[in-house]
Parts: sequence; structure tokens; C-alpha cells
Amino acid sequence: MDPYYLALTTITLASIYGLLALGISIIWSSLGMINMAQGFTFAVSGYGAWLVAQYISANGFVVVIGGVLTGALAGALIGGIAFIPLYDKPNFPLRSLIATLAISLMGGQCLLWIFSPRVKALPKIFGVGNIHIGPAVASYDKIGSIVCSAILLLLTLGWMKTSRRGLEIRAMMQNPEGAALVGVGLRSTAMSVMMVTGAMAGLASVLLSQNYFISPFAGTTPLVKGMVVALAGGLGSVAGALIAAVLIGFIEAVTAVGLGGQYVLITQFLFIIAVLLVRPRGIAGMIEHTRE
Amino acid sequence: MTDVLRIENLSAGYGPLGVLHSINLTVRAGERVGIIGLNGHGKSTLLKAIAGLTGWQSGSIKLNGTEIGGTRSQGPGRYTHKIVRMGLALMPQGDALFHGLTVADHLDSGAYTPRAWRERKQRRERVLAIFPPLEKLLGQPVGKLSGGERRMVSIGRGLMDDAKLLLIDEPSLGLAPKISKGLVEALMRIDIKDGAMVIAEQNLSLLEGKVTRLIGLHAGKLKGGAVAPDAALTPHAHHHH
Repeated sequence: MDPYYLALTTITLASIYGLLALGISIIWSSLGMINMAQGFTFAVSGYGAWLVAQYISANGFVVVIGGVLTGALAGALIGGIAFIPLYDKPNFPLRSLIATLAISLMGGQCLLWIFSPRVKALPKIFGVGNIHIGPAVASYDKIGSIVCSAILLLLTLGWMKTSRRGLEIRAMMQNPEGAALVGVGLRSTAMSVMMVTGAMAGLASVLLSQNYFISPFAGTTPLVKGMVVALAGGLGSVAGALIAAVLIGFIEAVTAVGLGGQYVLITQFLFIIAVLLVRPRGIAGMIEHTRE
Repeated sequence: MTDVLRIENLSAGYGPLGVLHSINLTVRAGERVGIIGLNGHGKSTLLKAIAGLTGWQSGSIKLNGTEIGGTRSQGPGRYTHKIVRMGLALMPQGDALFHGLTVADHLDSGAYTPRAWRERKQRRERVLAIFPPLEKLLGQPVGKLSGGERRMVSIGRGLMDDAKLLLIDEPSLGLAPKISKGLVEALMRIDIKDGAMVIAEQNLSLLEGKVTRLIGLHAGKLKGGAVAPDAALTPHAHHHH
């Protein structure tokens, strides 16, 4: 087992799952909603990027932007359907869970209807080839994935750290009533949360589509893995989600290399069950205060 | 002289439970009003109703002449952020803080208008002048602070923007007598200019002689002093230093 290959694969997977998990985690803690439609956002962003590549430009940067914008729009759509009309009704967590699940299923069917079941492939936006970094060999798409994810994560976290809107989201993640008392409008803040997390899912989709095909239900596995990472990290914790993403990515890389790809889901779920047995609030349950 | 707060015929409660019954209350600019009552008689509900946080409510509430009340049967907190943006600051029981955020983040979160957000550094200094112990704690997460320090953060957060009406729910709750006394003195030092302050408190002796008016709240009804007498327009000694 080549340790450099393992490390690089771990980081690549971690950055992609981190994008999805962070989105799920932020939505849960700020809006109190488990977004089952994050997988739909993922799938539709893949098609958005594909349409851009077909009809506008196959330039890598343009394709990435196309996927990210489609993701943000899909996020806004989900927020408009599943959050805005429901959030002040009784039993909101359950209602929104069902609403997002419905969007996910209906959205998948719509994609099937519009684009046909035949899978699509994105152009290789980072080109084909390898870079040698000392003893390690890294393919362009792995390096590209890591760099793109890191840029979007840093931009998002920096924005959440320094801007008023970011502070509002962090406040809402901790205490929605307290947030209302400092003038935070739930609806508009929720819509920006949905757009930012949608954009993250959009980027994850474009990056993962460098190695997988785009299909109407392509978002299911990434959704499940994003959920696993978000749960293992402790829903609502940014640091926890990132740590969990690295661990889950590592498990996937080791399992795929050592045992074979078909065992990946099994080892990942064994891991999350173990984490939740020992630490019911996830990895970060202890280091941060999150929504309970 | 305009009324900062004018409440007419306010009833409010939660589900089938009525807590406030036809309350009338007027608070004028420059006044500090103490609402005194035992637990469970509606002090918190009165302050929450002004912020739109009760289960249901009916009756008129005017903040600087603008209607913020009316009849509402569901959606507690739905309009709270709008009411806050019209110049209300509520420091509720339990403080409604964000436990993982730092003291500095809390103070900044109170600066919701673009102007206050731009000036947040200067405004923080102003709050620190009222609550000097917070200076050393600016980088600390609020979850690690003591009860008294949290109360200071909650009140300080409410002072970051130009709130016209400050509502403080039980400043003494859960605090040692000496600390609550210091806190009430700090409240009296706050320059409310043309705004007003309403303090709900169980402990009469804590506010006696310090506020402009004291009103009793018993079983959801106000007792005496609910309409400002003309004498109340004479500023209290504590407004001058």
C-alpha cells in the first residue's frame, strides 16, 4: 500500500465529503432541518455543469461556476418549498424532513424525465496528467479537487467569521430566539444558508463527476456519505464535520485499497455506529456547543 | 413629549392559558419603569408580548407611535426581528445567548443596522465602559462565563444599536445580592437619552428609589402607576451625575 497514494486519496475524498457534510451540518443547526434534498442539489448541479459544458463553454472554470450556481439555485428552491412555508408550523423537523425527501424524489424523477436515464460525463476540467511532488504522484483532478474545495471552504468559513450575515448564521446555529432578539430575520438568513450550502454541494458534484457519471439519482450515495460525516462529526459543528470528513475519507481509501471498493459502505457505517455509541453527539460533541 | 411605549388592552398567553388580562401601560421618553411582581404573575410574559414572543396576544402595542402589537394567534417570534429593528432591545430571562460564540461576537451581533455594524468597535468600547469586567473576556466563549458576566453580555448586546426601549427581565435572577446590586447600578448609569427602560423584577428593594416609577403586576393585571403622572416627567436624580 503506497502511503502517499493513500494520503492523497484520503484528502481528496475528505474535501468532497466535507463540502456536503458541512452543508448538511450548517442547515441542521441553523434551520433545524435535515435536508434530505441535498442529494438532489448534488445531482441537479451535475446537470447544470454539464449543460454549461455543452452549450456555453467547456472551460474548467466556467463549468465549475455553472455547477456552483446551479447548486445555489437548487438550495434556494428547497428553502422556498421546504423551509419558508413550514418553519413556524408545529412538528417542523418532521415536516421538513418529509418535504425535503419529497423534493429529492420528485426532483430525481424530473431529471430522469428531462435528461433521460442515459448517464452524462463532464469534460476533464483539470486536464489529464500527473504531477510529481517529491516521492508522491498526484493526478491533476485530485490536486484540482483539493484546491477547489479548500478555496470554497476557506471563503465560506472566512465569510461566516467576518461578515454580519455570517455572524447571524452562527448566532442562529446556537440559539434561534436569541438571534431574533438581535434583529436576525429567520427567512432571509435561512435563504442565504440554503444558497451557500447549495453552492457547496454544487462544487462537490462537479468535483466528484470527474470520476463518476452524472445521473438523475447520482446524489444518493454522496447524500448518505455526507450525512454519515455530519452525524459522526456532531451535527452543527464545523470543526467536527471536517475532522469526520478526513476520518471517513481515510476509511474509504484504506478499505478500497486493502479490501476492495464494495466494502466501503460497510466499513464506513461500522465506523459511524462505533462513534455514535461512544460519543452520541459526535466527534465534536465535546469541543463545541451545538444545537441539541 | 412622545410615548416610547403605549400599551392598550393587551391580553396574552400560551395555548389555552391566559397570562395577561387587558393591560394598559404608557412609558414616556426618559423614564425608567420598574414592574414588580411575584413569579408566575406575568412579568416575563409582558416583556415577551412587547417583543412578539408569546404564544398568542391581542391588543395594541405602540413603540414610538408605530403599532407592533395587534392580534396574533400563532408564530411566536415571527415578527420579533422586525420589532427589534424598530428600536427594541429585550434582555430575557436566561439571557438567550449563543454559548459557543465569544463575548466580542455577542456584542457585535447586537449591532444590526449597517451604521452600528460599521461603528461596532467604538460601540464595543462604550459597552465596556459600562461593564468593565467584560474587557478581559472579549475572546472567551460565553458558555464559560459566570452568571453575572453572562447577564452583562446580554445587556451589553442590547446596547450596541440605538434601541429606544430597553426591556430587562429580572436582572437579579440567579445572581448573588451584591452582583445584582452592581448590575442595577450599571443599568441606572446607562444613558437612555430620549428612550426608555422597563425592568421587571421580583425584588422590590433592588429598584426602590432608583427608578422613575414602580408598578405592581399581580395575576396578569397592573396595579397603580401604569400611566405616567406628570411628576414622572421630572427627571430622576439618577439621570444626572
